[in-house]
Amino acid sequence: MKPDGQIKLVSELLDLPLYDVEGNYAGVVDDVEFRGSAGKDLKLKALLVGPGAYKARLPAWAMWVVRKIAGDRITRVPMDKVHSIGSSVKLECSGRDLGLHKSERAAANWIPHWGAL
Amino acid sequence: LNPLELTLGIMTAVGGFVDISQVVFSALAGSMFGYSLIWAFGVSTVGIIVFGEMSGRVAAVAKQPVFNLMRHRLGLKLGLVTLAASVFSTLITCAAEIGGLGLLLRYLTGASYMLMATISAFVLMAAIWVLPFKWIERTFGLLGLLMIVFVVALTAIDPPWEKVAAGFLPQVPQGLSQKELMNFAYFAVAIFSAVMFPYEAYFYSSGGIEEQWGPKDLLTNRVTAIAGMALGSLLSIAMLASAAQLFGPANVGPQIPGSVALETAIPFGPLGLILALLGMLFAVAGAAVETAMANAYSIAQFFGWQWGRRRQPWEAPRFTFAWIIMLLVSLAIVLTGVDPMSLVQYAIVFSILVLPLTYLPLMLLAGDRKYMGQYVNGWLAKILGWLFFAIITVMAIVALPLFFLTSGGQG
Repeated sequence: MKPDGQIKLVSELLDLPLYDVEGNYAGVVDDVEFRGSAGKDLKLKALLVGPGAYKARLPAWAMWVVRKIAGDRITRVPMDKVHSIGSSVKLECSGRDLGLHKSERAAANWIPHWGAL
Repeated sequence: LNPLELTLGIMTAVGGFVDISQVVFSALAGSMFGYSLIWAFGVSTVGIIVFGEMSGRVAAVAKQPVFNLMRHRLGLKLGLVTLAASVFSTLITCAAEIGGLGLLLRYLTGASYMLMATISAFVLMAAIWVLPFKWIERTFGLLGLLMIVFVVALTAIDPPWEKVAAGFLPQVPQGLSQKELMNFAYFAVAIFSAVMFPYEAYFYSSGGIEEQWGPKDLLTNRVTAIAGMALGSLLSIAMLASAAQLFGPANVGPQIPGSVALETAIPFGPLGLILALLGMLFAVAGAAVETAMANAYSIAQFFGWQWGRRRQPWEAPRFTFAWIIMLLVSLAIVLTGVDPMSLVQYAIVFSILVLPLTYLPLMLLAGDRKYMGQYVNGWLAKILGWLFFAIITVMAIVALPLFFLTSGGQG
C-alpha cells in the first residue's frame, strides 16, 4: 500500500506500529486525521500517535485510566512523511524530527545512565 | 545452528513450565491421580509448540511481537481489556514466583522468608538492569537446566514405565466419584492453562525481536520452540511421575516446593535435595524475570513505547520503569503475607481466560499471506492452530465454574 494510494479500510492502518527512517520503533498509529469535506475527496492528512489520540476510541473511564498510565500526548505525523504502509508504517524521517518520543526522553532523565552491560 | 541459540526457548519453557505453580501442581496432580494426567502435559505441549513457533515466525518475518498484533487485530478496546487481564494474571504469577524464591532460599539458608523474597526481588532487578537480553536468557535458561535432576531421579526410582507411557493417552481414571471427576477436570484445565501461559508467547516473540531474528532464523525458531518446550514438558512430566510413584501410594499431597524436592532426595540423598532446590531456584528466578519482562513488553508494545533489553535501560526508560514496577508490586504483594501457592491458583484461572484473545490474533496474522508471504501458516499449522484454539476456548468457558465448584482443586 502506498501512502498516497486509496485506503479502503482505516482499520488496516489503525494500531499498526511505526518505524522511523533509522529503523527505530516510533510508536503506534492511534488515530488518523482526514482532509476534505462533503462532496469532495476524503484523504488522509496525518497519523496521530500517542495515547491522547485514544479519546475518540475509548469510553471516558477507560481514557482516565490510560491517561494515568501513559499520559495524553498526541503527535501528528503528516502523510508526506510516510514512506510506506505494510505490516508496519515506515517513516521517511527520524522520529525525533517529528517530535515522537518526547515523553521517552523526559523519562530517561529519571533513570541512572550507568551500570548496564 | 548454535546450541546457545536454543536458550531463548529453554528459558521461555523452563520459566513457563517449571515455574512455582507448575512445580507444585505437577507433583500434586501425580499424587492425586497417578499417571493419568500426563496426557494433559503432552497435548498442551503440542499446543504451546504450535503457538510458540507461530509467534517466533511472525516476529522473524513481520517483525511484530504478539501484543502489537493483538491490538491491531482486536482493536483498541478489546486490546485494552486483554492487556489489563494479561497484566493482572502475569503480575500475580510474578508475585507467586517471588514468594517461591523466598521459600526456596529459606530452605537453603534458614533465613526469614520475607527477607529472602525481598533480596530475590532486588537481585533480579539488578540482573535485568546489568545483563543484556542474550545474557539474561543464557544465564537463566542454562541454570534452569539443573532441573534435569528430576528426570534423572525418575529414572533412578524406576517407575512402572508401561504405566507412564499409558499416561500419554487421553483418559479419565475409572472409579472416581463425581467430586473427584470435577477435580480431575479442574487439574486438566489448569495444566493446559499453566503450560500455555500467555506470557510465554509474549516473552518468546519479543525475545525473537530482541535477537533481531529474520527469515534466515526460522529454523532456529522452529528447533528452539520444539526443543525448549519439549524439555519443559519433560521436566514437568518427570515431577508428576515421581510424585505418582512416591507420594500417591503414601497418600502425601505435596503442597509446597520443599516436598516436591524430596522426589530427588529419596534416590540421591542430600545432594539430590540440594540440586533440586537449586534447580527450582534458578527455574523460578527465570520465571520471575520472564513474567516481569513479559508484562513490561506487553505494556510498552501496546502504548508504543521504546522497548527491549537489547538497548541500555535508559534508552527505553518507560519499559525499564515497567519491569521495575512489576517486580516491586510483586514484592509488595508477597510482603502482605499472602500465601504464594494460593496466588498461583488465581493466576492459572485468569490466564486461561486470556488465552483465546492472545492466540487468535496471532493465528490470523500468521495465516495472512499479505504479511507473511511464503512463510504463511502451512496446512499442519492451520489445522493444529484451529484445533488448539477450539480447545482453549472451551477451557476458558469451563475454567471459572470448575474453579468455584472444586474450590481451586481442593475438592
